[in-house]
Amino acid sequence: MPTTTSPQSVRKVPTYCYNCVAGPDFMNVKVVDGVATEIEPNFAAEDIHPARGRVCVKAYGLVQKTYNPHRVLQPMKRTNPKKGRNEDPGFVPISWDEALDLVTTKLTAVREKGLVDDSGLPRVAATFGHGGTPGMYMGSLPAFLAAWGPIDYSFGSGQGVKCVHSEHLYGEFWHRGFTVAADTPLARYVISIGSNVEASGGPCAVTRHAEARVRGYKRVQVEPHLSVTGACSAEWVPIRPKTDPAFMFALIHVLVCEQGLDKLDVAFLRDRTSSPYLVGPDGLYLRDPVSRKPLVWDEAGGRAVAFDTPDVVPAVAGSFPVCGAISIDADDVCQDLGAVEGKTAYAMLVEHMRKYSPEWAASICDVPAATIRRIANEYLENASIGETIEIDGRTLPLRPVAVTLGKSVNNGWGAFECCWARTLLATLVGALENPGGTLGTTVRLNRPHDNRLLSVKAGEDGFMAQYFNPTDKEHWVAKPTGRNIHRTLVPIVGNTAWSQALGPTQLAWMFQREVPEDWNMPMPTMPDVWFIYRTNPAISFWDTRTLVEEIAKFPFTVSFAYTLDETNWMADLLLPEATDLESLQMIKVGGTKFVEQFWEHRGVVLRQPAVEPQGDTRDFTWISTQLAKRTGLLEAYNNALNRGAGGGAPLKAEGYDYSLDTGKEHGVEEIWDAVCRASSASLSEGREVHDLEWFKEHGFYTVPMSKVEWYLSPALEQQGLRYEMPYQERLLRIGRELGNRLHEHQMHWWDEQLSEYAALPEWHDVPGRWTQQIRNAGGKPEDFPLWLLATKSMQYHTGGNASIALMREVAQNVRGHTGVIMNAKTAKSLGISDGDRVEIRSHIGATYGDAVLAQGVRPDTLVILGQFDHWATPLAKDFGMPSLNTIAPMSMELTDATGSGSDIVRVAVRKVEREEAAQ
Amino acid sequence: MTRYAMTIDLRRCVGCQTCTAACKNANATPPGVQWRRVLDLETGEFPDVRRSFVPVACMHCDEPPCEEVCPTKATTKRADGLVAIDYDTCIGCANCVMACPYEARSIVHEAKFAYGDKPIKSEEVRFDSARIGVSMKCTFCIDRIDLAAKTGQVPGRDWEVTPACVNSCISGAMAFGDLDDPDSKVSRLIAENKTFRMHEELGTGPGVYYIWDKG
Repeated sequence: MPTTTSPQSVRKVPTYCYNCVAGPDFMNVKVVDGVATEIEPNFAAEDIHPARGRVCVKAYGLVQKTYNPHRVLQPMKRTNPKKGRNEDPGFVPISWDEALDLVTTKLTAVREKGLVDDSGLPRVAATFGHGGTPGMYMGSLPAFLAAWGPIDYSFGSGQGVKCVHSEHLYGEFWHRGFTVAADTPLARYVISIGSNVEASGGPCAVTRHAEARVRGYKRVQVEPHLSVTGACSAEWVPIRPKTDPAFMFALIHVLVCEQGLDKLDVAFLRDRTSSPYLVGPDGLYLRDPVSRKPLVWDEAGGRAVAFDTPDVVPAVAGSFPVCGAISIDADDVCQDLGAVEGKTAYAMLVEHMRKYSPEWAASICDVPAATIRRIANEYLENASIGETIEIDGRTLPLRPVAVTLGKSVNNGWGAFECCWARTLLATLVGALENPGGTLGTTVRLNRPHDNRLLSVKAGEDGFMAQYFNPTDKEHWVAKPTGRNIHRTLVPIVGNTAWSQALGPTQLAWMFQREVPEDWNMPMPTMPDVWFIYRTNPAISFWDTRTLVEEIAKFPFTVSFAYTLDETNWMADLLLPEATDLESLQMIKVGGTKFVEQFWEHRGVVLRQPAVEPQGDTRDFTWISTQLAKRTGLLEAYNNALNRGAGGGAPLKAEGYDYSLDTGKEHGVEEIWDAVCRASSASLSEGREVHDLEWFKEHGFYTVPMSKVEWYLSPALEQQGLRYEMPYQERLLRIGRELGNRLHEHQMHWWDEQLSEYAALPEWHDVPGRWTQQIRNAGGKPEDFPLWLLATKSMQYHTGGNASIALMREVAQNVRGHTGVIMNAKTAKSLGISDGDRVEIRSHIGATYGDAVLAQGVRPDTLVILGQFDHWATPLAKDFGMPSLNTIAPMSMELTDATGSGSDIVRVAVRKVEREEAAQ
Repeated sequence: MTRYAMTIDLRRCVGCQTCTAACKNANATPPGVQWRRVLDLETGEFPDVRRSFVPVACMHCDEPPCEEVCPTKATTKRADGLVAIDYDTCIGCANCVMACPYEARSIVHEAKFAYGDKPIKSEEVRFDSARIGVSMKCTFCIDRIDLAAKTGQVPGRDWEVTPACVNSCISGAMAFGDLDDPDSKVSRLIAENKTFRMHEELGTGPGVYYIWDKG
């Protein structure tokens, strides 16, 4: 031991890390004489945790996170009423009593005025950081939020532009996949298009892919730069940015136009998809005039019948004469069609894809046609159509091929096309939601969150039930209920707990400044109170210099704060929470979850204080209880806890009752002890009940789960349901309806986005949208000849850990953590050498960093890792790192129909003197 | 006999630096001192480029060049294969730093902490003045190996007596164990796979074997 004196006590405290969405992962904290000194794997979890009880590099920073001298260690209030980047907030320490009185006064005033304002918008707003991770550290705050009533989660911190937004929405729509992954343990061939899973997939993904590499699977990485994941792949295809739809369309062309139906999984297409549904001349399904069900062509009977006619064997390909069918368009407009020709949806697809050959795609993507064709054929060959595998006594198809997509491929323009193409590529070979194939992981827009198979219910037309926001005249939400207008503009995002945060969150920020000319809805207002936690939108969103100005206008901002940062610089109150290693919480683990968390168990894990909270920081559950008590919501808060809002399980269910007395204030340990007992009772169906003390010692409790639950297709088969692939008749109708509603209200500012609602996606000049946006903004595209991309860093990804010195040190071993990556030849042509200070300029501003020269990046592309350019966060403000976020515009033209944007911008680069950059 | 050694499977490594951070955690090394790290290397020219991740540290050589140049015999080759440094004997002359072909050694001449001049709590309780002004490097977590000798546990199999980097590795790239035990994991991996040792031509007999292709 390197310590100078022998310790009196050494403890290993089991807990979890959930600093990114790829978690949770298990770990132990070594505590020497009451001081946390080390993070270690938790080998007690080796047999149940997919990453064998290990955590990634970020977790090793948690010791420094605890003792970081820059922490906010007591409540602070702002003394400078002026807010702005150049205004010192003048924070002064206050007691918890005073701090809670301050926030209670504001909240009480809100309740007296009414929870929503005259525009119909919630007076209280809240923004939390990446992908639900703050929920794993906020104790019982969800119970307080539930007790409060309407809260606006509209103001994004980067979701929609930094996440895989279209995948979230379309993934859930098509196959209950909020995020989508390869079935890596069985996969033999993976086409990874921009997916940087080796950097952002956490220990579970890294473990699975490492095993697969040794086993001999082939992964083809398609992306403009050679990322960490590209480095670990068998082949790198340096595609031109934002041309991924063309590449994928060409893959589909090879499968359906060159190889043909008999090489594909015909049975899967016939029985599990809408391929046989007949489409009429108007592009809508031909339907039975009485039942209104879509028709298929019965090969045995030689006639069109409803898709669910018993014993029907539908034709997958072909066109057939149909008499007496109807079609149903938007707003339930019904057409009697008489005698028409009906083409199967599959036939429509083949016809549609004919023009998208590899030769067509080659010049768009800057990828040789032969490469595209070879990859398509390798994919088909490896699909092993006809092969089966036995899993837990079930014989299932084995289709060991997958396509995965990354950020900026599946958000913004082009993302709908990519998500559709990815899902279709899996569909054509029967690999969608079957062993070895392309799988969804979890659901967030649908329910229940911890078992997506249970979200499969029968809906219309033989498909799964969907819960879209209404677009019909009677129910369309003409008056927005949140500032990002998700219910009004984005049908597919629905309106469950996560929907609002997955709405067009940049619109919430943009409309604070200005609304479109033909805006015919109540004007957006500012929230009276804004809560923020584990989030820093002033760094993590776009056009951050403008965003800061909007944040500065908010009248009362409460930050649950760790250190000062660029967002809480504008706050009125800082409430310091006891952080990762200092506080108590139980969360669910297991099942199937984000990225590549595929378990063979499900259960719960405890996060517990390994050390005493530093300073006067407080456990979040204590803070939440105080907020509930002081705002008169204690009973509703306790009720929410009893319903299970604290995590784990409802405190009362059949066979057990650990519910809390709703009239009393309960202590932190008392609350979590009840959750511990209820969770273990629920998981074990009453066989075992473990209290908080047991969990403090053992850390977690799990029960086995069948691997069959990884796959959705058996659940669809059980209910006789079909995937809504390949033809998007429903989306087409909904888009038309939405257009009707907006136009009835004389609003045309969303018209371009409406073009995305298509039955079969067409290629449109996706990269050209960026140059057009420059023109629209008064700039010259030729002044910005390069693309700038942002890519993820495992060391920093969603960790909120820019102020951790250890991360800064070890991250610098990985290329790109010292500046902007650029092609060495391009740099030479511009007179730029490795390490030179450079200015990266878009049409809205400039960011500065050091040049990092490499061969593994396209000559027309620059790459920045992570998101930095801090000016308030201690330590990070001295990094001198550039950020795409500083110079990426928020713009309506670059917003797609789901409300997302791509993390990419056109730029110019030049060498500058360090002094110039500093100014 | 025992010859402790490490294998590193380059097919698995993703360059994440988890081992780098775990080592710094376990050994309380000061800022800027990394007893191990993962190199991020690039070869070729666009578009025919390879990027590789190569973990490096002290190779615990059979014939350590560092031992040979040590004027005080502070550096010694142990019978179990570890190359150890006696901080009480080391005079910080840096001969070993210069001699090591793996750039595995470093010397810190003054106390350094993560956040400026003052140690944070976790640094305070672990600060060891004996490590100022002396040569330092990866020890294969020597305290764990020595513990194994007392407890009868097996390094590389029992995590309590296995180097922190090996325990931490999320891709399972690293293994540790006794080369003289044909049933140890490292012996089996070396037997079953194609391996190389870094700068083997120098005759140092490195104790770290890189697996780089299927045998």
